[in-house]
Amino acid sequence: MDEKDRLEILKEILFTDDREYAEKIAKRIEQIEQTVNNQERLSIKVGPIIDNQINDFAKNLPSTITAAFKEEIKNNQDEVVDVLFPIIGKMIKKYVAQELRLLSERINKQLAFKSPIGGMSRKFKSWFGGVKEEELILSGLSSAKIEQVLLIEKASGILTASYSDTKTIDEEMVSGMLTAIKTFVEDAFGQKNQNLELIEYELYQIHLQSFVSHYVAVVISGNYTLESKNKLQDIIFDFYNDFMAMKLDQAMSKEQLRKKLVLSFEDASI
Amino acid sequence: MQVSKKIVVLGHFGVGKTSLIRRFVEDSFSDNYIVSIGVHITKKVVEISADDSISFILWDLEGTDDLTLIRDSFLLGTHGVVFVFDVTRPSTFQELSEDLKIVHEKITNVPQLIVGNKVDLVVLPELEALLKQHEISVDFLTSAKTGGAVNDMFMKLATLLTSHA
Repeated sequence: MDEKDRLEILKEILFTDDREYAEKIAKRIEQIEQTVNNQERLSIKVGPIIDNQINDFAKNLPSTITAAFKEEIKNNQDEVVDVLFPIIGKMIKKYVAQELRLLSERINKQLAFKSPIGGMSRKFKSWFGGVKEEELILSGLSSAKIEQVLLIEKASGILTASYSDTKTIDEEMVSGMLTAIKTFVEDAFGQKNQNLELIEYELYQIHLQSFVSHYVAVVISGNYTLESKNKLQDIIFDFYNDFMAMKLDQAMSKEQLRKKLVLSFEDASI
Repeated sequence: MQVSKKIVVLGHFGVGKTSLIRRFVEDSFSDNYIVSIGVHITKKVVEISADDSISFILWDLEGTDDLTLIRDSFLLGTHGVVFVFDVTRPSTFQELSEDLKIVHEKITNVPQLIVGNKVDLVVLPELEALLKQHEISVDFLTSAKTGGAVNDMFMKLATLLTSHA
């Protein structure tokens, strides 16, 4: 065995492990190359990871956006108003235009009125009263309207009779709550013989007229003026007078009383 | 024929008046109820025969440990009373006779039921012994949580109101 052979044997002994390791790495690189170059195999490996990332992103996105929006609104209120103003402005403008169109239609209807007597009477009122006919029409259009009438036992809050032009929540419960509110306010001010007369809420007003055993609650929409109040009180007094007469005569069924309410309030103009 | 009757539900603070009414009116119970403030009014119509029914207008009054503080005007025109105490809290029934005396001064000559509520939280024989010890006679032991005896109690009240009229 010469020098060269000995060296080969020595190399064999010393580098066997390294060579096996290098072969393994080469094999692995080849596999990875195949995987990367083959779309189908690559998608099997990478797909689930991307899916997870997308899911996490989708989950966190709304809260991130909301938080960012909140922060942005908080820090730049003027800018937000600037951005929203034209949009809200347009909506309001559109609403006002729509309402004006409706009002205009109603005025046109009134002017082209079927009853010549109504028209003539308005013209007379206008001539002699020195008020423009248009103003008379407008005042007629904005007048108050009776929506609901409740005759309520004053002490217990029990509903005796009711008339309603529109459907509302349970009238017996409304009567109870109105009575509770009424007595609470009257107690709170501690004044004897003082009665709560009016409750206002948004477009509606509730006129409360107290008598000894009962009170009458009238829900009104529209322009409820002092003149309307006077007219309404006259109607209520007339009704209550009839009610007391019916009570004295003991000729009063619930249905009769309801009819009386309808008769008194249904077509009443205030 | 349907007649409407005003029923006031009274008792100390937190005895379960609102829950009792809620169980009767809506047949449900919420552990997260809001403590009633002032007065809350609900309604339930109960059939008492084929032709007759009673419309209960239930006035759930704010609970107070001093019944003299109850607003007299809320009690006007009352047709029936339900006095509720909490069986788990002796402080709500120890002075029952005194409490009832105050109620009778404010509301006279109407049917009345005395009700021990939250009976689901106690052992019945022990409760009965405790009530006996305090010389308390109750009309109903109810549970707003399970609904136990709630309907029976209001039906009894309907019967009392009918015979009282």
